[in-house]
Amino acid sequence: MLYANYLKMHLKSSFQYRYNMMFISFNQVLINISEVLAVYLLFKQFDSVAGWTFYQSLIMMGIVYTVYSLTECFARGYDEFPKLIQSGELDRFLIRPVNIHYQIFGSKIEFSKLGRVALGIVISIIAFLNVDIEWTALKVIVLIATYVCGIFVIFGLFVLSAGISIYTIENLEFLNIITNGSKELAYYPINIYAKWLTTIFTYIIPIACFNYLPLSYILEIGTIPAWLCATAPFFGMLFVIPCIIFFNLSLRKYKSSGS
Amino acid sequence: MVRIIEFTDICKNFKVPERNKGRFSMFKNFFMRKHKIIQALKDVTFSIDEGDIVGYIGPNGAGKSTTIKIMSGILTPSSGTCIIDGLVPWKNRKKFVKNIGVVFGQRSQLWWDVPIIDSFNLLKDIYKIPDDEFKQTLEVLNKALNLEELLGRPLRQLSLGQKMKCELAGALLHRPKILFLDEPTIGLDAVTKLAVRDFIKYINQQWHTTIILTTHDMSDIEALTNKIILIGKGQILYQGNFDSIKNKYSSIKTIEIEFAKEYDTIELEGYEVVSHNKKFATLKNLPTTEFHTKNFVNKISQKYEIIDFQVNNLSVDEILARLYKEYKL
Repeated sequence: MLYANYLKMHLKSSFQYRYNMMFISFNQVLINISEVLAVYLLFKQFDSVAGWTFYQSLIMMGIVYTVYSLTECFARGYDEFPKLIQSGELDRFLIRPVNIHYQIFGSKIEFSKLGRVALGIVISIIAFLNVDIEWTALKVIVLIATYVCGIFVIFGLFVLSAGISIYTIENLEFLNIITNGSKELAYYPINIYAKWLTTIFTYIIPIACFNYLPLSYILEIGTIPAWLCATAPFFGMLFVIPCIIFFNLSLRKYKSSGS
Repeated sequence: MVRIIEFTDICKNFKVPERNKGRFSMFKNFFMRKHKIIQALKDVTFSIDEGDIVGYIGPNGAGKSTTIKIMSGILTPSSGTCIIDGLVPWKNRKKFVKNIGVVFGQRSQLWWDVPIIDSFNLLKDIYKIPDDEFKQTLEVLNKALNLEELLGRPLRQLSLGQKMKCELAGALLHRPKILFLDEPTIGLDAVTKLAVRDFIKYINQQWHTTIILTTHDMSDIEALTNKIILIGKGQILYQGNFDSIKNKYSSIKTIEIEFAKEYDTIELEGYEVVSHNKKFATLKNLPTTEFHTKNFVNKISQKYEIIDFQVNNLSVDEILARLYKEYKL
């Protein structure tokens, strides 16, 4: 299978620089641990933020780390799309008898991000163990949907910024606000932010759909109706659809205007 | 002869942002971009037969890359029709690109850190080449290009010439009907250049591959092509065989002369002095003068004492330079 072959190639490449890769992984884990510490210190001051305890919001952080890094690992090609344009790789993709998205996925697989995925999982497990939850089958389903939704939304953001970069060509920093900014925002319960920010990150970029809302349901906190919180991740997944449509339209524009 | 590429009245316009100058220009550029339309191709029409080796030449910025991009389906033209092997390149892309191979002289499709053979195997998957066909093709390419010892090494360890050989092989693994070569001999040493040329000819004969190459190396054109297409400022200026262009300029000769003593100035009616250094000079007959050895010797020996002279035809590069000049490129 072609994708397996891509995986093999990226593994071989990164093993050429295995110390480098190990160092990057380690480095990223360190940075993220310091982020966790920052959140811990914040909660030490206030005990709870917007009704959430330290461990409760740690679950949120763990989910964000996991889904973000997992998406980064496998969909890095979209994140670094301007490079693909500049280096002419995109032109190369267009003259191969394989779907463009397939090739973008194959173009970059960054195994060093898996260090952060592991960290995310470890954090989540620690957090879940320190929180009282009455688990039901429905809650498990919602939790799984939360992870899937997270991956879809982050992926959608990557695709969106890739699509925008076709118009701007340069790797504009503001595109990072979309991806990284959304991620940083998702570390905390979304109701601590201003009303308009909450609205944007619930209905437009549905960050809340894979942390605040489903976790409110699972942890049984907050005042939003439970059925809404439970179904939120399923709606959030839909975000990826317009992103892909936008990207495909942008690509059509690329083909008529070149770089 | 079967027509394989039919390019009819292709136009391509690009919208290019116009930069404001002066104060706050950065902000102005950011918020209010003015655009101007640049015509990259104007009514480009040509056709190529199956099995041709075509030299696509023209100065930098003439529209060569744009044409190649349209032919390979990367760009869609603003107007006009293009039919290649019965298909429109920018429609049914996947079906079309199976029949073409492209080598961009300056960039690689092979992986930097991974042995060449692995990159080839990836291409095998990408083009869904059956095992036995892949083996067979690789054997042919191996023999013709001496790849054997290169296949196990990663791209980063290869010299420029070795890279180009692998690049060519990579583009041919799926046995495309049409091969586009963008400056395939750029930067290569003489031996490798000849090897690459031989290979291109070999493939053309062996597989009847139609080859379109862009180059600035006129010896490539002379050694390989049976047809040239000359483009300048987005328009086709000439298409046909190279010999007829050569014949057009064959009446112009350069004459290198060695004099018996040093002259301060050299002047000869009907001839242009190209260079003059003490006892040596190079002359060129003006278009109005037909070169005739006997007349020339008579004429020059009346004015100057000469020891030796040599008559040359214009080099291919000079012919092209003249051609560009003639078309004001």
